[in-house]
Amino acid sequence: MTKQEQLQQILRELKQALPELRSVVVASVDGLPIVHDSSDAPRVAAMAATALGLGRRISQTTELGSLEETIVRGNHGYFVVYAAGEKGVLAVSAPAGANLGLIHLEAREFASRLARTL
Amino acid sequence: MEPLKVVVSGPVGSGKSTFVRTLSETAIVDTDAFASEPIGKDMTTVALDYGTLRLDGQLLYLFGTPGQQRFDFMWDILTEGALGMVLLVRGDRPQDFPQARRQLDYLLSRQAVPYVVGVTRQDKPPVWGPEEVALYLGQPSEYVVGLNATDPKSAVKPLLRLLELML
Repeated sequence: MTKQEQLQQILRELKQALPELRSVVVASVDGLPIVHDSSDAPRVAAMAATALGLGRRISQTTELGSLEETIVRGNHGYFVVYAAGEKGVLAVSAPAGANLGLIHLEAREFASRLARTL
Repeated sequence: MEPLKVVVSGPVGSGKSTFVRTLSETAIVDTDAFASEPIGKDMTTVALDYGTLRLDGQLLYLFGTPGQQRFDFMWDILTEGALGMVLLVRGDRPQDFPQARRQLDYLLSRQAVPYVVGVTRQDKPPVWGPEEVALYLGQPSEYVVGLNATDPKSAVKPLLRLLELML
C-alpha cells in the first residue's frame, strides 16, 4: 500500500469507529489537506493548522506541556483538532450531543497511528 | 498615547516573522510549523506573530500574518482594529510582486488604513530598490521603503515612515 492508501484506510476506519462524525480532515501542520472526506477541505485544513499552531503556542506559554487537542464548541456541534505527531493534524467535526469522550478516545488513537504513517 | 496596532503582511518568505522578531522589545509570540511544500525555508507561520516596541514614545503592537492565501481568514482577523499596515515583499523575488499587490488591495479593502510597502533584502544585491517597486506597484514613492529585516536599524524604517504618514 502507498502512504496515501494507508492514510485513506485509517480515515475509513476512523469513520467506521465514529459514525457520528460529520467530517474528517487530515492535513499537514502548514495547512494543506492530505486525506479527507470534507467538501471544504482546503479551508478546513488551513484553519485546523492555525488552531493547532495557536493551541501549541498557548499550551507552551501557559505551561500546559505539549498540545494534545484544541476544541471549538459551537451550539451546533464540535470541531476538534488533534496533533498527529510533528507533521500532521487531524480535524474532526461532530454534531451537538455527540459523545465527546468517545470521540477523544478513538481520535487520539487514530492521531497516533497517523503520526506513525505520515 | 494609545498603542498603535500595526499589521505586518506580505507573501510567503517576505520576512514578516523576521521583521517582528528583529523589532520586538518584548518576548514574541510566534506560531511556526514545518513547511510541507517547497517555499525556500523549513518553517512557516500558521496563525500569527506578535511583538511590541516603543518608537518615539509611541507604543506599537505588531501583528504578523501568515503569507499563504489559504490563511486569508487570519488576514481578516488580524486586520480588525488595525490602525496601520506594513506590507513586505522580497526585493529579489519580482515574481512575488503581483501577489504582493493583490494582498495589499485585499487588505486595504478590508481595512482602509495608512500603509507602507517594505522591500526586503536590500542588503543582498541584486535586488529591486524601493523606487522601482513603487513604479511596479503603482504606489507613490513615499509609501515604499527599502529595508533589511534582520537589522534593527534598517527594519525600523517602514515603521518610522508609517508614523510620519499618520501624523
